[in-house]
Amino acid sequence: MSRTTTEQPARRRGRHGGIKGRRLAPYLFVAPNMLIFGLFTIWPALNGFNISFYDSDDGRTFSFVGTDNYTDILGEDEFWEVVRNTLTFVVAFVAFTTVAAIALSLLLNAQLRGRGILRAAYFLPVLISPIVVGLIWNWALERQVGLVNTVLEAVGLGQPGWLLDPQLAMGSTVLVGLWTHVGFFALILLAGLQAIDPNLNEAAGLDGASAWQRTRHVTLPLLKPTTFVVVILATITGFQAFDFIYTLTGGGPVGATTLIVQNIYEQAFVSPIEYGLASAASVLLFIVIFGVTFANYLFARRADAT
Amino acid sequence: MRRTKTLLAATMAGICLAACAPGETEDEAAEGPTGDVEVDFASFEGETLDYIYFTDGPDEQVTRDLIADFEEETGASVNLQVLPYDDLEVSLQARLSGDNVPDVARLTTITPFSDELLDLTRFFGDEYPEEFLPGQVGAVTGAEGEMLAVPSDLTMNGPFVNVEQFREAGVDLPDPDDPWTVEEMVAAAEEVQAATGTEFALAIDKSGHRVSTLLSQFGTTLLDEDGVALDAGAAEEAVGLLVELMETDAMSGDFWLQSGSRYEGANEIFAAEEVPVYLAGNWMVAEFAESVQFEWAVAPNPCAERCGGFPGGKFMAAFERSDNPELAAAFVQWMNRTEQQERLVGEALFLPTRQDLVSQGIDYPQRGPDMEVFLADVKRTPEDTYESNAHPAFGATADYLAEEISETLAEEQDVATAVEDTIAEAEELVEDAQ
Repeated sequence: MSRTTTEQPARRRGRHGGIKGRRLAPYLFVAPNMLIFGLFTIWPALNGFNISFYDSDDGRTFSFVGTDNYTDILGEDEFWEVVRNTLTFVVAFVAFTTVAAIALSLLLNAQLRGRGILRAAYFLPVLISPIVVGLIWNWALERQVGLVNTVLEAVGLGQPGWLLDPQLAMGSTVLVGLWTHVGFFALILLAGLQAIDPNLNEAAGLDGASAWQRTRHVTLPLLKPTTFVVVILATITGFQAFDFIYTLTGGGPVGATTLIVQNIYEQAFVSPIEYGLASAASVLLFIVIFGVTFANYLFARRADAT
Repeated sequence: MRRTKTLLAATMAGICLAACAPGETEDEAAEGPTGDVEVDFASFEGETLDYIYFTDGPDEQVTRDLIADFEEETGASVNLQVLPYDDLEVSLQARLSGDNVPDVARLTTITPFSDELLDLTRFFGDEYPEEFLPGQVGAVTGAEGEMLAVPSDLTMNGPFVNVEQFREAGVDLPDPDDPWTVEEMVAAAEEVQAATGTEFALAIDKSGHRVSTLLSQFGTTLLDEDGVALDAGAAEEAVGLLVELMETDAMSGDFWLQSGSRYEGANEIFAAEEVPVYLAGNWMVAEFAESVQFEWAVAPNPCAERCGGFPGGKFMAAFERSDNPELAAAFVQWMNRTEQQERLVGEALFLPTRQDLVSQGIDYPQRGPDMEVFLADVKRTPEDTYESNAHPAFGATADYLAEEISETLAEEQDVATAVEDTIAEAEELVEDAQ
């Protein structure tokens, strides 16, 4: 009897690890991931922040310059031109992509024949490497022999310089970005749509609401939390856009589609190399993305509260 | 609250940990051994060296064959590591900053690594540089007169022509000994374009290095030993001609604008028979010999104020922090002896950098007449072009010129402003390089 009473608590401790064990367990579960995250993300980011206060053109010798890299960047016309391009791209990309993703998710949520095939088709560009996306559209939008202009020429609409005229090039870049990412955002919104109780729409219908009124006054308000997630993700994606643009336009013509990440890449990896300036620009980009994301978060919280 | 404090403390600790000099300060930079070293090629048995290499294509196999011979002769083994050219500089910088120093590397410029390279005259004597072309030696000479690498092959810019299109149009090709003038070349190309219906008359790679050929022919260069050398008048003539050709569709302006800040080769336009004259350089000979199906040839560079092309090249350098600097220096020297360089340039269709090989000529197994045209142009090319190409600020200045031409094509400025801006930027880049 006494043996049983002494063994039971021991087994319980073994199974649940006691209070201390229970406290420790979550940390142990996340530890491997945090170790990798810390080693390959946090540590390099902190080092990048540190390097932004040094001047180095070879990554081996560093001279401390204080905040000179920041003042140099902020004093350059080229940087502000890149900032203007980036903001233009981000605003247009987020607006068009979000609207297109909502429309697409509503379409995919409807009881259409071949819905599964459509979902796969719209998601397909997400699976293609951004480098390949850039190359495909570079060929398709080529002025004289590109697919798009061949069709336009055949119907008498001329041969616009999609990648040669600065305004058209920015528009083309936004559209290619939309084509690449809309499937992913539509998928997130589709999950949000399917979480909405169908009885609410049905009840509105019984009260005489039209399809548009049901979408406008029932579906979209209930989809707001998911839409905010999409807006935040699209904003981050927009600020970080680089790979497909580099192969689509190379940042041209004459810098019209050069965004901040390409500018950072060229400072860091194209001769003459300036690691300090590139790091300082990266820190500024981080601050902007963090600020915009935080503002979005606050806006979403306030909207939820009201 | 406690969680916030912990987070704050962790962040501060991280920042403190990171907030120390991220590498060596300039004062701590490594200093190598000094004094003369006797190289004994028989003493390398069982030793190993790392050779960081990028390939132009046809040179890789002959390089591997030469390495095999070196290994057999010395008993050392060479670990050849082939990198994509685009990653070369950054990978090397990363290896050097991480103390994972290779022994030898093939480079297109020594500028970013000059403080890390071995002075080869310490091993092979002060006369060693005299074995190579003086212009190319200038590109590997350090501030104190050290020889920091060996020029392993020379490149020369020059035009390729589609012989079949010229024949069809009934237009004569120039005599290799009596080059076209620039006007004659443009007129001939436009005549062929009109007769054969090609898309364009001429094509040129989107590269400031290639435009430097035209600058030289009009009598100027971007830089020289003393700094900025660009003559505004001559540069306006050269750049003005290029812009005019693109504006009149004799050249593709789309091609120049569509690649943004990236380098873009026009070789595919020539290979697709869309253009009868393509301004590139001898490194394209091997590729065209293999991939182009129509009859083509190399034409001599045209003359304006001056004749000749514009040089470039590759270099083999040994690193001072190599585990075995003596073996590294020996390998560089061995690979660039007369016999070895003759084999490399012959099989890879390169141009030699050794004075003896330039004098005696190379017996190329294929495309000999084309390579002879390039060799003849080497002799016609002015000395100041070598100085320009060897200047540490050349690459960045040439890239800037290419961007200025883009802005002119996009009608954002005129030719005079493009040249004026290039001179101003070159002055800053030269100052930075010093």
